[in-house]
Amino acid sequence: MGALILSLLVLTLIKATPIIYAALGGVLSERSGVINIGLEGMMAIGAFTAVIVSYATRQPLLGILAGIAAGALLGYVLGVAATRFKVDQIVAGMGINLICAGGAAYGLVLIFNQPGASAQVPALGRHYGVLVALAFVAALVLQWLLTRTPWGLRVRACGENPAALASAGIDPLAMRLAAVTLSGALAGLGGAFLSLGELNLYSDGMTAGRGFIALAAVIFGRWNPLGATAACVVFGLFEALQYVLQGRIAWLPADAMQALPYLAALFALAGITGRVRAPASDGVPY
Amino acid sequence: MKVKAIAALVSATICALSLAACGHRRGPAPGQLTLGMVTDVGGLGDRSFNDSAYRGLLTSKAKLGAYIQVLQSRSAADYQPNLTALTNLHFKMIYAIGFLMGLDLDQVAKQHPDQRYAIVDAVINDPNVVSITFREQDGSFLAGALAAMVSKTHHIAFLGGQDIPLIEKFAAGYEAGAREIDPNIKIDVKYAGSFDDVAAGKELANLLFNDGADIIYTAAGKVGLGAIDAVKSRNDDYIIGVDSDQDALAPGRVLTSMVKKVDVAVFDVARSLQEGKPMHGHVVFGLKDGAIGLTDFKYTRAAIGEANIARLHAIQAAIVSGKIVPPDSLKALADFKPVAL
Repeated sequence: MGALILSLLVLTLIKATPIIYAALGGVLSERSGVINIGLEGMMAIGAFTAVIVSYATRQPLLGILAGIAAGALLGYVLGVAATRFKVDQIVAGMGINLICAGGAAYGLVLIFNQPGASAQVPALGRHYGVLVALAFVAALVLQWLLTRTPWGLRVRACGENPAALASAGIDPLAMRLAAVTLSGALAGLGGAFLSLGELNLYSDGMTAGRGFIALAAVIFGRWNPLGATAACVVFGLFEALQYVLQGRIAWLPADAMQALPYLAALFALAGITGRVRAPASDGVPY
Repeated sequence: MKVKAIAALVSATICALSLAACGHRRGPAPGQLTLGMVTDVGGLGDRSFNDSAYRGLLTSKAKLGAYIQVLQSRSAADYQPNLTALTNLHFKMIYAIGFLMGLDLDQVAKQHPDQRYAIVDAVINDPNVVSITFREQDGSFLAGALAAMVSKTHHIAFLGGQDIPLIEKFAAGYEAGAREIDPNIKIDVKYAGSFDDVAAGKELANLLFNDGADIIYTAAGKVGLGAIDAVKSRNDDYIIGVDSDQDALAPGRVLTSMVKKVDVAVFDVARSLQEGKPMHGHVVFGLKDGAIGLTDFKYTRAAIGEANIARLHAIQAAIVSGKIVPPDSLKALADFKPVAL
């Protein structure tokens, strides 16, 4: 029983970690007024770039950093589209998701000469626990930045009333661009955790919807870093539970078990709907 | 003058090009066996399904002197145009690779009743189409028997991608094979709910190993790569790979792989055509055709032991002779009784 609870806990943390990174990115972006629906694609490219760089340099740490940089670059692209060009943020985000999935698939053929999955590359191995811990540290730091620093106040103002921020002499577009770029970096780190932390390869579709789960966690956590982190942990717990319970309850088919985390999220969202409020200018171009 | 020069240049170029074309791409000789193939979106280079089918064509070229041509499909929208293009070239046999092409082939085949087609992994009821499917349960039965022989904890596991009928064939055969050797063996069954989520494969494999299973058979596409990654850091546990030979992905820790040789089926269809006895209707390939089977234990022969390998051969013979009929669904599994050999 003790062993079971321990493995449940470990599994919960592992499941939650990549989603926490992406969700923190989502929180930061949306608090500044930009909906980042491209988290999934940014995770995929983060995972892909990390593997390529680790493959080329044999340095997994460099790979992780490259994954973060690639995510940041995509965040910057979305940021420019959302600020300078006032593109519909949902459309731009979906575009990023499509380009990333296709780009990584094509890159596999170019670099590894095989579609589907990359070769195995040097990875963090046993040290990946550091990235698990770092996710929670990042949540605390982001919470502190957003609620206790002038920069955080400006980010939040930017998401509520960018005109007021502009009248105070601060450029809301620059704030948003910075926030979305950072958001991409966090999502890229989440992807790199998957490919070089947990595993040692990139494979098409390996992010498997985690970026979208992160978006739900942002809302579930009421646009708070700590709240979103808690939501990710709850999701991770239900995912871990369904893994452990599968096959132990004979009359419940595996498909029903797999729906458990999503059902939990649905109920949680429905239960608190009346009380959540998005930043007033979330998704509204300035 | 200038016009003449250009005309000369152009005609020279055309001559050169057509000569080059003659040199490199001869059409089929009269009466030669001509085989066409349309890949699904996986395309050549997928290291699995399409490549395996292509190997079958190459074997046909080498052994039967066939003229072969492959058209790759970039998207599902290419299936019908590709099938029609090969049809217009009057190939003697046109292969459609993968169940994804089923509906498209059905339409094309109905429009061209005089053209022969073959499809892999789908069953199409047209008189001019050979449908090729595989008895995955036979190879899975051997995998289960082997797992039960090698397991020290008397506890093994199955990791599926999604709980669908195709994967059920693998699960049912595996469980029956294990019960054939050890009727009381404990078998955990878990599904990842995906064929892509590699990380889930690693997490589930670690969970199954930590629960006491020491051998996991994966039938889960790329999810299986995660399970193979999980077994690398373990000393007493094994993974059984699937579809292609995955033994070298973690030498010594992948006990064997249950391979499905599409190439064997493709070659057999071509050979039967060459011999004037073309196959018809639904053709099922299994152990006795050598199209389904385990790898040759390159890295794990010592760990398995010759006695177990001999036992495995006896079971294989019993399946081929029909003495053992591996179940192809969970319903059939419930009625399965171990057979005394």
